[in-house]
Amino acid sequence: MALPDELEAKLIERLAARDERAFNELVQTYGRRVSALVLRMLGNKAEAEDLTQEVFVQVFKAIGTFRGESKLSTWIYRIAVNLCKNRSKYLRVRRAGEQDELEAVAERVPLGEARRANVAVIERPDEALGGKQVEKIVQDAIQKIEPTFRECLILRDVEELSYEEIEQITGLAAGTVKSRIFRARAQLKEIVERELGEKIG
Amino acid sequence: MTEDSDKPKDEAGAADDELSEAELAQLDAEPALSALLKRSLAEPEDALPEPARDELLLASVQKKLRKRSKGKFYGDGWSTTQSRLNYALIAAVMLVTIVAVYLALGPTGFSLR
Repeated sequence: MALPDELEAKLIERLAARDERAFNELVQTYGRRVSALVLRMLGNKAEAEDLTQEVFVQVFKAIGTFRGESKLSTWIYRIAVNLCKNRSKYLRVRRAGEQDELEAVAERVPLGEARRANVAVIERPDEALGGKQVEKIVQDAIQKIEPTFRECLILRDVEELSYEEIEQITGLAAGTVKSRIFRARAQLKEIVERELGEKIG
Repeated sequence: MTEDSDKPKDEAGAADDELSEAELAQLDAEPALSALLKRSLAEPEDALPEPARDELLLASVQKKLRKRSKGKFYGDGWSTTQSRLNYALIAAVMLVTIVAVYLALGPTGFSLR
């Protein structure tokens, strides 16, 4: 997703001068990739849309502090990953609160209604485990693994970044990046195989 | 880390254990899982075509910036919706209008009588 060095330098210069058209170009150049990354990290479309906008707002605010020690794309990715971390933390807390509320409601629901509700969520037996369902299992599983492991795994396996780029984005040491990717794959494999009831690969 | 810095920091990173030689050798040895992950997290098809999504994102970002900067950025309503070409077009139309008015009403203008 990176621009050629010369173009990038000119764009940064115009951005630092608060050129609105340069910023439009920046959003058009990096918007799609950032949006895809954020969606993968959060697994929630509405949250991802909002956070993608927030990434570019932060980029606009902080562009004056960008010193060119990394590629512009790496810097933008770093902002995105950090905002995702914060938003994930917030969402986990909010979900925990909602879960408590749901449990409180469940305690008040009569037994008969609860039974009917349970029947409704049982999956149709004629639905085979097709490709789409396997993908859904993986999508759910990725959200269940340790968030710090997840970000490294997505950057490596989905965004196809090098270990060096991941080190720059996350600020982690080389050994830590590799360790987190290794542990993330192990966690993911365990969850997916348990859900599928069969081995992968 | 704050977004203001080029230099990332991750305090938790120091606590992570390093991989053994055997684990390092296995690190990229399972392409099936990586392929499955990549396929599962492929960009979902959207109801909107990609250019429309880009435009929507840009408009939303501009709106947020306009609001938070209290109109300092993207505040004139033009920069959010129009390209620089429109400025040139409007300038040309204005010039032609002024010349026409001058010709009609100026010292050498046509008289109604």
